[in-house]
Amino acid sequence: MAKYLAKRIFYLILTLFIVITVTFFLMKLLPGTPLTNQAKLSKSQIHLIYEQYGLNKPVWQQYLLYLAGAVKGDFGTSFQFSDQPVSYLISSRIGPSLQIGLQAMIVGVILGVIIGAFGAMKQNTWVDTTTTVVSILGISIPSFVLAVLLQYYLGLKAGWFPIAEWGGFIYTVLPTLALGAQPLAESARFVRTEMVDVLSSDYIELAKAKGLSKTGVIYHHALRNSLIPLITIVGPLAVNIMTGSMVVENIFSIPGIGEQFVKSVLTNDYPTIMGLTIVYSFMLCVVLLITDILYGIVDPRIRLTGKAN
Amino acid sequence: MLKQLRGVGIKMKINSAVKLGTVATFAAVLLAACGSSSNSSESSKQTLNWMESSALPSMDSSTATDVVSGETINNTGEGLLRIGKNSSIHPGVAKSYKVSKDGKTYTFNLRKSNWSNGDKVTAKDFVYAWQRTVNPKTASQYAYMYAQVKNANAIMNKKKAVSTLGIKAVGDYKVVVTLTQATSYFPSLVASPMFFPQNESVVQKYGKKYATNAQDNVYNGPFKLTYWTGTSDNWSMSKNTKYWDAKNVKLKKVNFKTMKDPQTALSQYQSGKLDATYLSGQQPKNYKNSKQYVERKSASTFYIELNEKKDSMMKNKKARQALSMAINRNQFVNKVLQDGSTVSTGLVSTGLAENKGKDFNTDAAVPSATSYNLKKAKQLWKEALKETGRSSYSMTLTADDTPAGKNSAEFIQSQWAKLGNIKVTNSNLPFKTRLARSQSGDFDAVISAWGADFPDPISFLSLFTSGNSYNNGKWSSKAYDTYVGDATGKDANNTSARWNDLVNAQKTILNEQGIIPVYQQGKAQLVKSKVQGLVYFPTGANWDFSKAYIK
Amino acid sequence: MADTVKLPEDSFKPITSDDRAALDSEKIAAPSLTFAQDAWRRLKKNKGAWVSLIVLVVIFIMAFGSIFVSPHDPNAVHPAYANLPSKIPGISINGFNGTLVQAGERIDAYKAAGASGAHYIMGTDYLGRDLFSRVLYGTRISLIIALVATLFDLTIGVTYGMFSGWKGGRIDTIMQRIIEIILSIPNLVVIVLLILILKPGMASIIIAIALTSWVNMARLVRAQTLELKEQEFILAARTLGERPIKIAFKHLLPNLSSVIIINTMFTIPNAIFFEATLSYIGIGISSPQASLGTLLNDGQKNFQFLPYQMWWPALILSIIMLAFNLLGDGLRDAFDPRTKE
Repeated sequence: MAKYLAKRIFYLILTLFIVITVTFFLMKLLPGTPLTNQAKLSKSQIHLIYEQYGLNKPVWQQYLLYLAGAVKGDFGTSFQFSDQPVSYLISSRIGPSLQIGLQAMIVGVILGVIIGAFGAMKQNTWVDTTTTVVSILGISIPSFVLAVLLQYYLGLKAGWFPIAEWGGFIYTVLPTLALGAQPLAESARFVRTEMVDVLSSDYIELAKAKGLSKTGVIYHHALRNSLIPLITIVGPLAVNIMTGSMVVENIFSIPGIGEQFVKSVLTNDYPTIMGLTIVYSFMLCVVLLITDILYGIVDPRIRLTGKAN
Repeated sequence: MLKQLRGVGIKMKINSAVKLGTVATFAAVLLAACGSSSNSSESSKQTLNWMESSALPSMDSSTATDVVSGETINNTGEGLLRIGKNSSIHPGVAKSYKVSKDGKTYTFNLRKSNWSNGDKVTAKDFVYAWQRTVNPKTASQYAYMYAQVKNANAIMNKKKAVSTLGIKAVGDYKVVVTLTQATSYFPSLVASPMFFPQNESVVQKYGKKYATNAQDNVYNGPFKLTYWTGTSDNWSMSKNTKYWDAKNVKLKKVNFKTMKDPQTALSQYQSGKLDATYLSGQQPKNYKNSKQYVERKSASTFYIELNEKKDSMMKNKKARQALSMAINRNQFVNKVLQDGSTVSTGLVSTGLAENKGKDFNTDAAVPSATSYNLKKAKQLWKEALKETGRSSYSMTLTADDTPAGKNSAEFIQSQWAKLGNIKVTNSNLPFKTRLARSQSGDFDAVISAWGADFPDPISFLSLFTSGNSYNNGKWSSKAYDTYVGDATGKDANNTSARWNDLVNAQKTILNEQGIIPVYQQGKAQLVKSKVQGLVYFPTGANWDFSKAYIK
Repeated sequence: MADTVKLPEDSFKPITSDDRAALDSEKIAAPSLTFAQDAWRRLKKNKGAWVSLIVLVVIFIMAFGSIFVSPHDPNAVHPAYANLPSKIPGISINGFNGTLVQAGERIDAYKAAGASGAHYIMGTDYLGRDLFSRVLYGTRISLIIALVATLFDLTIGVTYGMFSGWKGGRIDTIMQRIIEIILSIPNLVVIVLLILILKPGMASIIIAIALTSWVNMARLVRAQTLELKEQEFILAARTLGERPIKIAFKHLLPNLSSVIIINTMFTIPNAIFFEATLSYIGIGISSPQASLGTLLNDGQKNFQFLPYQMWWPALILSIIMLAFNLLGDGLRDAFDPRTKE
């Protein structure tokens, strides 16, 4: 296991390196300047400021300088927020994004599993139909539409939850619901499909024949085996949540990194784009690593490749 | 707290008795009551909750570039002079000032005032701040505003030492500024945030951290920043008791809240979390008759540039005129935008400058260049096609990817389509991309905008001289160049001659249809009626809260 | 014991041709069906899937048919008729009768705009364009984007995943690393950067989505392949010396079909959503073109006052999604050899 982990961590660093390289050069192809006042600056003024920021150096030199800084944990200074180090910008804004993302993931997947399992157990009844429709509705409505509906009906009309901004837990409810709908729907559907398959398999028949209680069969055999493919979609779900957060944070005025990222891309804030890309990639790598390890634990038939060597 | 709870209890009872007694409405009433009661008790304490559409990026007056920073700095700081209602100029740190006969030397007499940490605000603070902004090492993106100050351009280009800048401190309370040429609008420049003083010892003390959060900074304006992490979406300022005119500042606190989605902002306003909000899209239409509805005119013009370098069609004056005449600006402003925007009657925004009580655009109007006449437009277009040997013409209209940008592009495209024998494709691009493409000449027609930096027509008219890097369409006229040159050169200190030069310049560009002015931007706003005494001006920092109060 | 069994006379008699026919009919033999025929037969039995298929066909015909026949020109502008709500002749339910609440009062918007004679089924947008025509137009563009992206997803993803899972060992490790790297770049980063570098527009959106969307499919297919290849029937096929390609098509693919189909049904909404998200961010389809995403986005901005501008595109989008999903379920049951009734 230790050997496997070491190997994976090595790959993680390699991945980050490739991500940095690809993003850096893609980013340099963006049209426009990173200056916030571009509309009011003439070419010669831009040239002067570029010189000051070292942006007129050849791209490969900028790249090497960036790598050298990144190794030391220095991701440069933001262009949008003057004189704010990117590391500070990210650390001061990542909290809300993480909280909402995790809440959405946990709430979504747990509810999804329950709904999916119910649907499978009561296959072809009204319970099944209802769960199917609920889960399909969840993936039929884009998160920004859902966010607007939640905000208008539960926030403004009913007044149950704050409309926007960031405060205590109560402020996270609507954004969590808006973001959690998709993981909920996707995991519900996945679990249902898998469980229907598993429930019709021979070993379940055997377990039933042996006289195991229905809940025992469901819990020990069906559910566990249905959760395996679910683990493989956790990674993609995390990506969905990251994408969704860019929109949901905007609508609920949450001071997170999602909406910051969009703004950085649209304003050519190179250091912030790089910093956030690295953070996103790192988080995704960790999620993928965890799901792979879990996969090995849940399904003993899958051996972790590192062990075989 | 006890009082509040009791209030909630009563509200609950009444409401649940009147309405349905279901759990759902019960809970709703409870929460709504909580929200509104805590809110009303807070706002009674002279607190203003203000909406911004983007976060505060900088508090350093040397490097700040955007409207939000300008607005905040204008309220936490003060320059030699202060801008008031309708861009009028009032005394600030300077009690009075004198201009020399040739208009090149300004002498400011400073009052005795203090920074929020107790230090005295002296002439040296101005010298330091100005030199710091112009210093190329600071990489200020607004340093070009200093162009009229003696030696500023040379310093920015590293040709002269920073100390040669045309500003001198005479004792602690006198500032003498030398300009390269007479500049009638210099007082309004001096009143804008990039000319504010900076406390040298504080800047040195905090070094790189200076002005990157609320604490590592000092303030000499009506308010001081009390909460801002440097990257937060919310920030607030409180009354600055050390301000020289503190007794006339009534607000205790101003909370700025960033609302990036207009729908959210409106909901927050409706639920009482904001005292003022900007409206966008179709929102203004629904509040037109509300008492809380206000339209703010801004000094920015949206105009179309046609790429004359691309082909003979755009070089043809009749074609350009046809494109202008085909646009029903009244319909666009009144039926589509409906946000207080008005039809542009020239390149210069209306209300920016006046001479002998007459607005610039009244003197310099060329009605045919900005009015709608589809019949004539069709005919001109036909002639233009014939003259350039074409049977039809296809072009791309580039615009921003903002709601307003999309609205404009869609509307104008539909209007141009009526000319016949024309095919217009739209391309909506993010702001930076749109600018980059305009500047590199990669467009046929582009909807551009310019906001005046200071209240003088030259802010607009200087853009379209031949070879100017803002002149994306590469329209060129010798007469125009001469008029603009005279206004900034030989007639600079002669008010009426200068005015005539500027009027002639705008008439020239309109007659030639060098650009197609479309509309002057208006900002529709909702302001709670309890908020009084807000001061708005269309250029620069826009807002001054020092006279505002909650009724 | 003279146990003589007396059989009646007619106990034995020669078989006639009629009797032979009766006997044959008792034979347990279904008509021989190919895999596809079998699937088709079972799909038709699934009511939900069948209705969904019909709904999708109708939507496709309407969306693509609107190139030739459209109630109005989707780009024709009538600013005087701007923001008229839905009006369906003969229905007088609020919301469909051309009235709307303005400043607390319900007014007849058509009368106010001087358009009493006109009726727009879904109302008009801020430029007075017929929303119904725009929704058809937008549906078409969204479908094209989604289908092209899904095509990439299927071909690249399935091949990649199966190959990786089947080969295993070092090849699998390397291929997984590549996937991991692609997965670890937040796809919105790549999409946004690509769209800005290319020119914002339909082609770049399709390219950008396609380049990033196949990875999930590859991962799922690989995981399933890993599981399947250790099962007995594959082992049997291998032992019998079947060629890998044949195993892939004959044994793996049918067993993978449920995963592939379900994931495809997720890819289509994902692609449509991605396009919608892009339009929210501000790099979607250029005006006056429309997609369901841009229509939703425009509607979302006016939801408080003109709710129908969001409800209509949202309704159509939901119907499309619902239909794709139910059809996906039906197809899964139909294709899966294990779910024979």
